[in-house]
Amino acid sequence: MTSGFRKAASRAVFNLAIALTALRVNLMRSILTTLGVSIGVFAVVLAVAVGSGAQVSVMGAINSLGSNMAIVFPVPDDEGGGAVAERGRLTMRDAVAIERQVEGVTAIAPQLVANVQIVSGGRNASTQAIGVTPGYAEVTNAAAETGRFISDADVRAAARVIVLGRTVVTKLFGDYDPLGETVRVNKVPFTVVGILEAKGSNLGEDNDDLALVPISAARQRFTSDRVLGPDDLRILFVGIEDGVSLGKTKREMSRLLRDRYRVRDGEGSPFIIRTTEEFMEETAMVTGIFQAVLVAIASISLLVGGIGIMNIMLVSVTERTREIGLRMALGAKRSDIRNQFLVEAAVLCMIGGAIGLLLAIAAAAVFQAQADFPVPIGVGTALGAILFSAVVGLLFGGWPAVRASRLSPIEALRTE
Amino acid sequence: MTVPLVETLSLVKEYASGGGTVHAIDGVSIAIARGEFVAIMGASGSGKSTFMNMIGCLDVPSSGDVRIDGTATSAMDSDALAELRNRKIGFVFQQFNLLPRTTALDNVAMPLIYAGVGRAERLERARAKLEAMGLGDRLDHSPAKLSGGQQQRVAIARALVTEPLMLLADEPTGALDSQTSEDIMHLFQMLNEAGNTIVLVTHEREVADHASRQIMFRDGKVIEDGPVTSRRRARP
Repeated sequence: MTSGFRKAASRAVFNLAIALTALRVNLMRSILTTLGVSIGVFAVVLAVAVGSGAQVSVMGAINSLGSNMAIVFPVPDDEGGGAVAERGRLTMRDAVAIERQVEGVTAIAPQLVANVQIVSGGRNASTQAIGVTPGYAEVTNAAAETGRFISDADVRAAARVIVLGRTVVTKLFGDYDPLGETVRVNKVPFTVVGILEAKGSNLGEDNDDLALVPISAARQRFTSDRVLGPDDLRILFVGIEDGVSLGKTKREMSRLLRDRYRVRDGEGSPFIIRTTEEFMEETAMVTGIFQAVLVAIASISLLVGGIGIMNIMLVSVTERTREIGLRMALGAKRSDIRNQFLVEAAVLCMIGGAIGLLLAIAAAAVFQAQADFPVPIGVGTALGAILFSAVVGLLFGGWPAVRASRLSPIEALRTE
Repeated sequence: MTVPLVETLSLVKEYASGGGTVHAIDGVSIAIARGEFVAIMGASGSGKSTFMNMIGCLDVPSSGDVRIDGTATSAMDSDALAELRNRKIGFVFQQFNLLPRTTALDNVAMPLIYAGVGRAERLERARAKLEAMGLGDRLDHSPAKLSGGQQQRVAIARALVTEPLMLLADEPTGALDSQTSEDIMHLFQMLNEAGNTIVLVTHEREVADHASRQIMFRDGKVIEDGPVTSRRRARP
């Protein structure tokens, strides 16, 4: 048993030595052939990394909204919601009902959103002003870095106070601390009472390019939309306790809204409710497809590389027919010959794979530095790439190797 | 009576050739005993090379059987034949057939790989054989740096390294000049006197006269088989 293993190990080491010798002898040819596999592995590894990067990015974007929450909004008019919209307009009273009656709801963040121009001194910034209540902080994990957040008193008084995002502060004030300054938002003066903690950006979307005002002030000052009644909301964020089923909470909210608007069974709801969980699932699916398509395209280049390997192995077998005959005459079994060429192909591919992997790591580093987009190459991907190249070698080297092993010793020896 | 080292029983090898059948070997039954030095002779196309391939277990007969050391080979698969060649037969070729860009030592050690011998022992045994061939100072030379005679001696060392039952040499002096041929034949005679069985294929009478027995082939049949009456002694 042990001697059998030693024999096998000895032959394996010897096969490796033969393979390395053969590759060294035809160095230029080996390098060129390897290049095909390198490019293939490079493309596949990068495709996997970009795919995972996209996934990480989008998940990050969803998480930055607030990890466990639902978003409620009326069915848009252009999606056939016209008739129902008459009955189903989301109001502050609906929001309060959800907060009070649905189990697991921790906070609500009703919102009105408007695009505004903010001016201070000679500088101006166009950004999104969101009319909020204090609940916004809890639901979206937002907090004031300096100063304070929008308070209940601000909302009741429709106070002209504003909390600025980091990007807006930089645009208007540079490094200067604007607390207590007055800015003009669509020509209406607001006092800066706080600055939001920076959240960074995801997929090129700046999470700090916004300003928060009391929802009441937003309604008075920024909504030119006459469709909106005095109590109407454009959108409602609902914070949900950790560990509570989002699906169940969503169903309860839906039932509550249907009851409030007397929607009959079988009739479409006038509201759309989306949970972060659903966003995550959809995103995972979309980015998964995106990644699969990328990898599939990249795999074509690996296939081409593999065909190159097969080609060169066929040439190698033909060139060394006499050597094969000699080895057989001296006692090499068919499996010895087959393994010799398999090892050669696998080594060739693994060297190619390693080079491709290094290129991919370098390209990912450059990409990440330039594009502010994560391109993660994990240990698993790296090992997988090397293993996969070995498999490519065995796959495409397989036929030439078997062909070599099937040669008749006498025919092979006679070859000039 | 002792079992012959090689015995062929009504050996036939046929090839299909342009509609007809060519009998390369046509019913050959001979026996070679241990310690013999046999020269297989004949013109080209006489079947002598085909016969050698048969007793070397490189080729399988159409009918009949080859027995090596009393064992029938006709039922053996390719792996069993490979093992038999490895253990019992040492080949020497006209063109030496050394691996290029490989040292003499590694060339000689190569058959031991397939015998499953460990590296240290392989190299030791290869070194001993090369030293016995007078090539102790050429261990690390690649074939390109060796003369024809030296290359053939490396090949003979390779044939002997597995301690086979017999040496099969196919025109071993065919690629060598006359003095070098003489050296190689001297080496064969020494090896034979040391107890090695040698079967040599040649078309040259002079070379064949170094052997102790000659078998003459024509048209796939043995037409002459007998001892060499005036045996040549090679002078190195």
